[in-house]
Amino acid sequence: MSIPHENQGAASRRGAVRAPQSLAGGLFLIALAALALWLTKDLDQGRLNAMGPAMLPRWLAVGVALSGLALIVLAFIKDGDLLERWSIRGPFFIIVAILSFALTIRGYASGSVAIPGLGLMFAGPLAIVIGGFATPDARFRELLILALALTPGCMIMFGDSALLNLPIPMFPQALAGVFPAGWSQNAILRTIAAIMAIAALLVFFTTRGSRRTTVDVADHSGRI
Amino acid sequence: MGDLFSNLGLGFSVAFSVQNILSAFIGCLVGTLIGVLPGVGPIATIAMLLPITFSLDPTGALIMLAGIYYGAQYGGSTTAILVNIPGEATSVVTALDGHQMARQGRAGIALGVAAIGSFFAGTVATLVIAALGKPLTGLALLFGPTEYFALMVMGLVFAVVLARGSILKAIAMILLGVLLSTVGLDLETGEERMTFGLAFLSDGIDFAVLAMGVFGIAEIMRNLDHTEHRDVVRQAIGRLLPNKDDFKQAYKPAIRGTLIGAVLGILPGNGAVLGPFASYTLEKKLAKDPRRFGRGAIEGVAGPESANNAGAQTSFIPLLTLGIPPNAVMALMVGAMTIHGIIPGPQVMTKNPDLFWGMIASMWIGNLMLLVINLPLVGLWVRLLKVPYRLLFPAILMFCCIGIYSINSLPTDVMFIALFGFVGYMLIKFGFEPAPMLLGFVLGKLMEENLRRALILSRGSLETFIERPVSAGLLAVAAILLIIALLPSIRKGRDEVFTE
Repeated sequence: MSIPHENQGAASRRGAVRAPQSLAGGLFLIALAALALWLTKDLDQGRLNAMGPAMLPRWLAVGVALSGLALIVLAFIKDGDLLERWSIRGPFFIIVAILSFALTIRGYASGSVAIPGLGLMFAGPLAIVIGGFATPDARFRELLILALALTPGCMIMFGDSALLNLPIPMFPQALAGVFPAGWSQNAILRTIAAIMAIAALLVFFTTRGSRRTTVDVADHSGRI
Repeated sequence: MGDLFSNLGLGFSVAFSVQNILSAFIGCLVGTLIGVLPGVGPIATIAMLLPITFSLDPTGALIMLAGIYYGAQYGGSTTAILVNIPGEATSVVTALDGHQMARQGRAGIALGVAAIGSFFAGTVATLVIAALGKPLTGLALLFGPTEYFALMVMGLVFAVVLARGSILKAIAMILLGVLLSTVGLDLETGEERMTFGLAFLSDGIDFAVLAMGVFGIAEIMRNLDHTEHRDVVRQAIGRLLPNKDDFKQAYKPAIRGTLIGAVLGILPGNGAVLGPFASYTLEKKLAKDPRRFGRGAIEGVAGPESANNAGAQTSFIPLLTLGIPPNAVMALMVGAMTIHGIIPGPQVMTKNPDLFWGMIASMWIGNLMLLVINLPLVGLWVRLLKVPYRLLFPAILMFCCIGIYSINSLPTDVMFIALFGFVGYMLIKFGFEPAPMLLGFVLGKLMEENLRRALILSRGSLETFIERPVSAGLLAVAAILLIIALLPSIRKGRDEVFTE
């Protein structure tokens, strides 16, 4: 789903358009309705006493399109809101972060491309560090500490057999070979989580002196 | 009456088991913990925390979910009072006077009154649910597909009327939501509809994925566009328990708020959202000196907070008795129940009395927990509120990913929260409110099923909806409501209610 309309709405702000936000919204609705109509074009509509699969979607799409049309007409008649400021950075990094989590959590293979399953151990920090850059205030060191501290917590909470024990891949299977053969999955999980937590502490303490200002996680403007 | 108490007795015997009390406690605690975070509303909270209920039995899971919901609600109020960031529509009103009280060094009292008022409201609402549950379930058995369809149409019309902003946009969102619900295999012919040939779409779009995308991810994207200005109170929190004077001023608004909230909460289409607004307006009208409102009037916290909680709870009634979720949070509850193998509706009460009454009894326990948890932990919430957003949102993002992956173990689900997140972000930018879409989506499947059945029974005649008295009545209410809402004078008043 692309966004072909937003520029159009923004560009015509000074013209006859009195409510650019409504215009853009209307065009967006019509695009969605057109997509639905195109997708249902080969399906049978049936009759009222024996409705086919396309009956409801088609009429709903028509309804959505009519609402969109009404919004467009209103945009030329009534004054309304301007389009809000868009940012590319925020959505871009958030989407990339989610996609990298989805692709690495248990691996992905398609044709010549194969991403190994890395488990939560790597997928979690990836999501946090990449996602963190969605804001211009991002600081790599802070995000790294956050990732290394939060991920082991989640691994234990969701994966440990004594707690939630959910079937989420936690670490790459290759890593299990590094541990002695007699170790259970759970013991490996706990060890990895402990190592990550220690790493978080190490990063925290060893790089503390270099940039003092970034260490403050809480702003101290308020008192309790 | 005897029936009511024996049922409640059964409920309490279920709810007072160690495991269920623990479930309620953990639910309330983590619900508040996540709900307190600015920019995370109850829907995102529940969606994120859904997986932690998976390992429990259905009763325990629902008790925990209800606890999470109350916790998230109360967490939202805490944020509204301490930071003036209302997490959702219903705590907007609390922020008005609550935050002013906090600035006067009376944050503790505001939080205390909110907690006590909520507890009182919760107690009353629990009784209301217990009393109304049975008769309404009986009513539900009289409903055929025609009536159900009409009822859902009425619910959606309520949702349109109660949505903020343009009515036209709300209608468009509802239609879009119902349209999204038709994605997937057709129920009768088994043909694929709008699936792009993708196998994982043939079961339809997963509700949790849509909710997480539109409410979790889209919210993050939107929050990132606004340079953060967080106004955490610098004054001392002060004592928590209200003194005699505070109590005197607050108890009547709390009672009135409870009644208003409880009644509005039963309405389909998220009537609960009106409760706090109605209560605030009423208290302002009744006050000897209305000018105090907006400057830290304790009545302006006690009334709306009670109404909020009462409404949050009585909105379980349509779900438990008719099987129809009145708002997006309840829709998520439907999703959670289905995951645990329970189909909400009148049959739950007869088939699983333990679960039904246990859950109702645990609602009261959950409210008690909130009181016990929140008053001592206020200091912790304040600390949490000081974590800057640049660290908060990556954590939320990862929780969303883990949460959604754990539901079906499908990486495609994770990808879809990115897609729906972006679509939701665009909708917000175009001035659409996503909540009606979610409600339309949840009711969509039920509506199509019932519409088809009704039309088969009537041999394709649409007149059946006006020939059958109950359905005609419901549709008439819907039509009148819509016309009234479109009248210019009422529209003006409606806009005022929402902007105040």
